[in-house]
Amino acid sequence: MRRQSNRLGEGGIIDRSKPVTFTFDGAPYQGYQGDTLASALLANGVTLVGRSFKYHRPRGVLSAGSEEPNALVELRSENYREANTKATMVELFDGLSASSQNRWPSLRLDFMSINSLLSPIFVAGFYYKTFMWPAALWEKLYEPAIRRAAGLGRAAQGEDPDHYEKATAHCDVLVVGGGAAGLNAALNAARSGARVILADENAQLGGRALDDGLPIDGAPPVQWIDSVREQLEREPNVVVMRRTTVFGVYDTGTYGALERVSDHLAQAKHGFPRQRLWRIIAKRTILATGATERPIVFGGNDRPGVMLASAFRTYLNRYGVAPGRRIVVFTNNDSGALTAAEAALAGLEVVAIVDSRRGLSAEISKAASTAGTRMISGGVVIDTVGKAKLSGVVIRTGEGEDVRLSCDCLVMSGGWNPNLQLTTHLGGKPTWNDAIAAFVPGTHPPGMSVAGAAGGSFGLKDALDEGAKAGSEAVASLGWKVAGPASPRADNQPYGIRPLWLVEASKSKALVDFQNDVTAADIALAAREGFQSVEHLKRYTTLGMATDQGRTSNVNALAIMAKATDRSIPETGMTVARPPYSPVAIGALAGHHRGKSFKAVRRPPSYAWAKANGGVFVETGLWLRPAYFPKSDERDWFETVCREVKTVRSAVGVCDVSTLGKVDVQGKDAGEFLDKIYMNGLKTLPIGKARYGGMLREDGIFMDDGTIARLGEHHYFVTTTTANAVKAFQHMEFCAQWLWPSLDVQLISATEQWAQYAVAGPKSRDLLRKIIDPEFDISDEAFPYLQVGKITVCGGIKGRLFRLSFSGERAYEIAVPARYGDALMRALMDAGQEFGVCPYGAEALAVMRIEKGHISGPELNGNTTPRDVGLGDMIAKKKDFIGRVLGERPGIIDPDRPSLIGFRPVDKNMRMRSGAHIVPLSAPATAANDQGYLTSVAYSPTVGDWIALGLLKRGPERIGEKVRAVDPVRNEEYVVEVVNPCFVDPEGEKLRG
Amino acid sequence: MANTQWVAASAFVEWRDIPGSSVSVTRRDDLTMANLGVFEGQSDKVLEVIRSAYGIDLPRTPKIVTARGTSFLWYGPNQWLAVAAREQNRDLELELEPLFSGVASIVDQTDARAVVEISGHRARDVLAKGVPIDLHPSAFKTGDVAITHASHIGIVICQMDDNPTYQISMFRSFADSFAEWLFHSCEEFSN
Amino acid sequence: MRIQCPCCGERSLDEFTYYGDASVTRPNAFAPTAMSDYHAYVYQRDNRDGDHRELWYHAAGCHACLVVTRNVRSHIISDVRIAREVARERDAAALPGSTS
Ligand SMILES: [Zn+2]
Repeated sequence: MRRQSNRLGEGGIIDRSKPVTFTFDGAPYQGYQGDTLASALLANGVTLVGRSFKYHRPRGVLSAGSEEPNALVELRSENYREANTKATMVELFDGLSASSQNRWPSLRLDFMSINSLLSPIFVAGFYYKTFMWPAALWEKLYEPAIRRAAGLGRAAQGEDPDHYEKATAHCDVLVVGGGAAGLNAALNAARSGARVILADENAQLGGRALDDGLPIDGAPPVQWIDSVREQLEREPNVVVMRRTTVFGVYDTGTYGALERVSDHLAQAKHGFPRQRLWRIIAKRTILATGATERPIVFGGNDRPGVMLASAFRTYLNRYGVAPGRRIVVFTNNDSGALTAAEAALAGLEVVAIVDSRRGLSAEISKAASTAGTRMISGGVVIDTVGKAKLSGVVIRTGEGEDVRLSCDCLVMSGGWNPNLQLTTHLGGKPTWNDAIAAFVPGTHPPGMSVAGAAGGSFGLKDALDEGAKAGSEAVASLGWKVAGPASPRADNQPYGIRPLWLVEASKSKALVDFQNDVTAADIALAAREGFQSVEHLKRYTTLGMATDQGRTSNVNALAIMAKATDRSIPETGMTVARPPYSPVAIGALAGHHRGKSFKAVRRPPSYAWAKANGGVFVETGLWLRPAYFPKSDERDWFETVCREVKTVRSAVGVCDVSTLGKVDVQGKDAGEFLDKIYMNGLKTLPIGKARYGGMLREDGIFMDDGTIARLGEHHYFVTTTTANAVKAFQHMEFCAQWLWPSLDVQLISATEQWAQYAVAGPKSRDLLRKIIDPEFDISDEAFPYLQVGKITVCGGIKGRLFRLSFSGERAYEIAVPARYGDALMRALMDAGQEFGVCPYGAEALAVMRIEKGHISGPELNGNTTPRDVGLGDMIAKKKDFIGRVLGERPGIIDPDRPSLIGFRPVDKNMRMRSGAHIVPLSAPATAANDQGYLTSVAYSPTVGDWIALGLLKRGPERIGEKVRAVDPVRNEEYVVEVVNPCFVDPEGEKLRG
Repeated sequence: MANTQWVAASAFVEWRDIPGSSVSVTRRDDLTMANLGVFEGQSDKVLEVIRSAYGIDLPRTPKIVTARGTSFLWYGPNQWLAVAAREQNRDLELELEPLFSGVASIVDQTDARAVVEISGHRARDVLAKGVPIDLHPSAFKTGDVAITHASHIGIVICQMDDNPTYQISMFRSFADSFAEWLFHSCEEFSN
Repeated sequence: MRIQCPCCGERSLDEFTYYGDASVTRPNAFAPTAMSDYHAYVYQRDNRDGDHRELWYHAAGCHACLVVTRNVRSHIISDVRIAREVARERDAAALPGSTS
C-alpha cells in the first residue's frame, strides 16, 4: 500500500485515527474516515481518474462537489455496480472498490484516445453531419462504433439488490443547503418553535464556510457550525437531513429530495434502504444552496492537475490534502487570492498568481506578498503542459510575453454562479447581474426566499445575515413569534470580478463542457452554422446535457455565444433548469414498488382456497382471479378449461365472481337516479327481481354493464364489471353530486363486503339446497330466473341469493360476508361432491359467455354503442338518461356500423383468433375492404368447434354469408361463416330450468 | 345443510409479527362496522337519533367519537362509519337499521374493510413511508381521522391514543398488499 | 400540485381525479336544440389562459366532488367549493321565477 503522499501533516476534519482501505482500478489505497473518494485519491497522488466522453482525454478531479463533470467512476461490483458516480460525492468506506470508466484496456493506455486525433469529425453536430448516408449503415456500423467509442460507465446487468423507499415529510420551513446561510436560517427559524427541515447534500454540514475556513465569531468556522448543529438537533421540531439533495420544486410547496441513506456504507444495514426519495411539503422554503465556481476557458484546461480554486481550498481545509505541491493560481476575481493564501499557509509553493485583470487588486497583492509569489497582472494562461498529468503552464503576460512555468497544479477561478436552479423549476427566469457577472434568481416559486450566495451575495457576513433574516421572516409570515434575526460575527471578502469568458490566445482545445467534451471552438462553430439560440446551441453541441446538468459550463458557453454573435449575455438567453438538480436513480423513484410489489394486488375471498387447490391465476386489473384449476392428469390448460365447461353444462361448477363491482344504492330517488344513469328502465323493476342494465357515456358509447337488483322500495343493489368497478362507482358519485345534486340517493361501495360465487349448472339448485338454511324456499316457483332475495346459511349467517346466469345454465350467485368466503367455498365443494361439482375459473367463464353470445370487455371496448352489440332494443324511449341525446347522432346510429354477430370456420379444423379482420370473400384484404373483426374467440367444447363473436358491418343481416378472416399479424387467412351469436340454447330453456 | 360451524377467515393471510419494541402491529379481525349514509334532508333527524341512542354528537369534521362501546367516524360529507368490537356477536347493521329507518341507509361494512393497528414511538416514521398526510402531533391528534392512501392503497386512518396508536382500515382485498408494505416499512425499526 | 379539500384539508393531486369543466351545465335532453346543446356541452371548450373552473373528485379521500378555480398557467388555486353545493345553487337559479 502506498503512503498518502499528498496528505498534509495536520488539518482537515477527517478522523486520522480511522484509516480506511479501498481500491481504485484494482490497486489498494488508504484514506481516512471522513474522506471522499476524490480526496483520498488526491491524498494518494492519483490525479488521473477517468477519460472523457468523446475524445477520451485524460481527466482529473475538477471540483469538490456535486457539480463534478470529470471524476466519474464505477462503484462496487456485479449487481451492486453503479456507473457515473461522482468521486467528489462518494464517502469513503472500508472495502470500497471503485474503477475508472470509459477506457480500454486501461486508464493509462487508452486506445480510444485516438478519437482525440479524429476530433475534426467529432465536432459539434457530428452525429448529424458525418453519418448522413447511407441510412442502412446507421444500425450496422455507425451506431455500434460510436457507442463503443463514446459513452460513460456500464450499467449493472442484473436486478438491483438494494431496497429503496419513498416517504413524505411536512414542515413549516424547508431550508435547502446547510452552509453558513442555511444553518443560520434554520437556527433563526427554529427558535420560534416552527417545524423546520434542513437538507444538505453533504455528509457534513457547513458548506463553503467549512471549505474556506474563514473565522466566524473569531474562531475557526467548524466551532460555530458544530454548535448550530447541536442546537438544531436538540430542537424537537427540527429535522436535519444530511446526504439529502433537494432536486426538484413542484406546485404548492412540494419538493422532491433524495436521501442517500446507505451510499456511504459498504452494505445497507438490515431493513434500511439504500436511498430514500422524499416528498417534502413545506409552507416556506429558504434556498441557501450557495454558488458554484466557474472554470476559465483556455487551452488544455481539462488536463489532470487543473482544478477549481475553491475545490483546492476544500481539499486543504476539509481533508488535509494538497492536490498539488507547486501551484499556479489563475483568476479573474479576488476569491482566487484565498487559495493562494491558504496554500502558502499550508506550506505549499505558490509559483505564481495570474490575474487576468489589469491593475493590482489589493486582495491579490496582499495574497501574493503573503505567499511570497510572483504576481502576473493582466495575464492569462494560454496552455497547459504535460501528458496525463500537469507539469507546467504557458502564460501570456499583460505585456504579451509567453512564459512557461513548471507546476503540478493549476487552480482557476472564473467567478461564481449562484446555484439558483430550484428557482427556475416552476418557470422562474433568472436575471443577469452585471456587478457579479452572473445570473441571479429572478422570480421565486411561491413561498420561497433566497439567502446568501444562492442569491448572489458571496460574502460570509452577508450569507449569515441574509440567512438570519430569511429564517425569521419565513416563520414570522406564518404567524410564529420571533425575536429579531441574530447572526455571529464574520467578514465579507472582496470579489471584484472582471469577466474573462474565453482566453482567445489559446490554440489547443479549450473545454467548456468537460463532461460532454464541448469546446469553445464547437460553440463558435454552432454560432457560424446558425445554431445561435441557446436551446439550439444546447441540442446541437450537447452542451449542458450530461449528468452534471452543465453546472460548470452553461454560463461560460452562453457568454462565448454572446460574444460570437455580438449580443449581451441576457440577450442570448438562459436555458431553464428542470428537475432533477442532480441525477436520481430510477430505483429511488420506484421505491417499494418494484417486482412483486410493483402495484397492489387484490385477492378475492376464495384466493387462499384456490391457491391451495392448484388454481392458476390471471390478473384482471389489480385482481388476481383463478383462471382455471388443472388436475394432475390434464395435459394443458385447454383440456382443463374444456373439462370445467363440460362440468358446468352437465352438472355444476362454482366460480368466484366477488370481483364484480357492487354498489348499494338507497334513497327515495334511488330508482329515479338509476333511470338516469342506465339506458334502460329500472324504476319499474319489481322488488325481489334483477335486471340487466347498460351504462353509457354522455357521447352515447357503452361504458359499463351489470345487473341491478331491487331489494326494497328504496333499495337497489347494482353490479358493475370487474375492470370498470372503480370508474363506474366514481361516475355514479359524480352524477349524484354534480348532475342531480338534489336526488335522495346514497351510494356505498359494497364490492368487498360480499364473497359472491356463481353456482352454475343443472345441479346448481340441488347443491345450494344443501347450503342454504332450510326455511328458504328456492324452488323454481318461489325462486325463478332473475329472482333475488336475502337468505341465511350455516344456521344464520346472512347471505343473498341472485338467480342470474352468465353461462346460460340454470345458475345462481350466492353471497355471504367476505370473511366466510373461504368457508363457503369449502362447504360448496364438500356438499357438491355427490353432484360432481368442480371449481371453474375466468377462462371457462369466458368460453361459456362466448357460447351464449354475451358481450364482455372485448365488445365493450370504448367504441361500441348499444346498437352495435345488439342491445339497441333496450334503449328507453321516453326517459332522459346519460347518453340519450348524443347516442342518436347520425354517425353512431348508421346501420353500416359493424355490429355484433357470430362466426364459425368453414374448415372445421381451422382455429380462429381474435383480432382477425373480416373482408368479403373475393375482395382484396385492404383497409378499404375492412368490414369488421373478431372480438372474442373460443373453442367450444359444447359445440365441438371454434366459435367467435365479432363486429361486422351490417352483421345481423348477413347470417349464412361466407367471408374471409384475415390476420396480418399472424399471417393467417381463412373462410368463416356468419352465424347467430348465441351458440348454445338460443331459446334460453336451460336457464329457466 | 352444513353441520359444522363456519370459520371466519382473516383478511390478512400472509401475516407475520414484528419483532422489537419501537413499533407493534396488530390485526383487528374482531370488529363490526356499518356505513351510515344520511338521506336527503334528514341530517337533523340523524343527529337526534344518535344523540338519544348514544348521547353524543356525530362529528362534522374528520374525527372519531365513541360512546357506549360504539365509535362513529366521519366518513365523508353526510357519511359515518360505525365501528364496534364484535363481542357477543354484535352486528352493527342489525343494531342500527331499526334506529334509522327512512332517515339513513345502513350498509354492513364488517367484511368490506380489513383493519390493523400500528403503535409505538416509531409508528409515525413507519407510516411516513407511505401515508402522505401530516401525522405530526401538532397536525393530527388522538381522535383525528383522515381518508387518504398508503402506498397507493386507499385507507382510513384514525389516531386512537397518544402512544401513538393508529387504526388503519382498507378494502379487504388489499389487506395482504398493505401488510407487505407495512412489514417492509417496519423492518428498519424492528431490531 | 395540492388542492385544499374543504372536507379533508390540503392534499396532493394524486388523491384527486379530474372530472372536467365545471362551467358547463347538462342541457335539457328534450329541447328542440338538444343535439347541438349536447354537442357543445360534451365537446366544445375554449382553451383560455387564466382561471378555469374545474371539477375534481376526491377519489382517495372523502369522495366529494369539488369545484376548483385554478389558474392553468401558474397552477395557483384561488377557490375550492363542494360541488354539490355549487350544483344546488345552479339548479335553484335555473328554476322558473328565480331572479338571479
Ligand atoms: Zn376530501
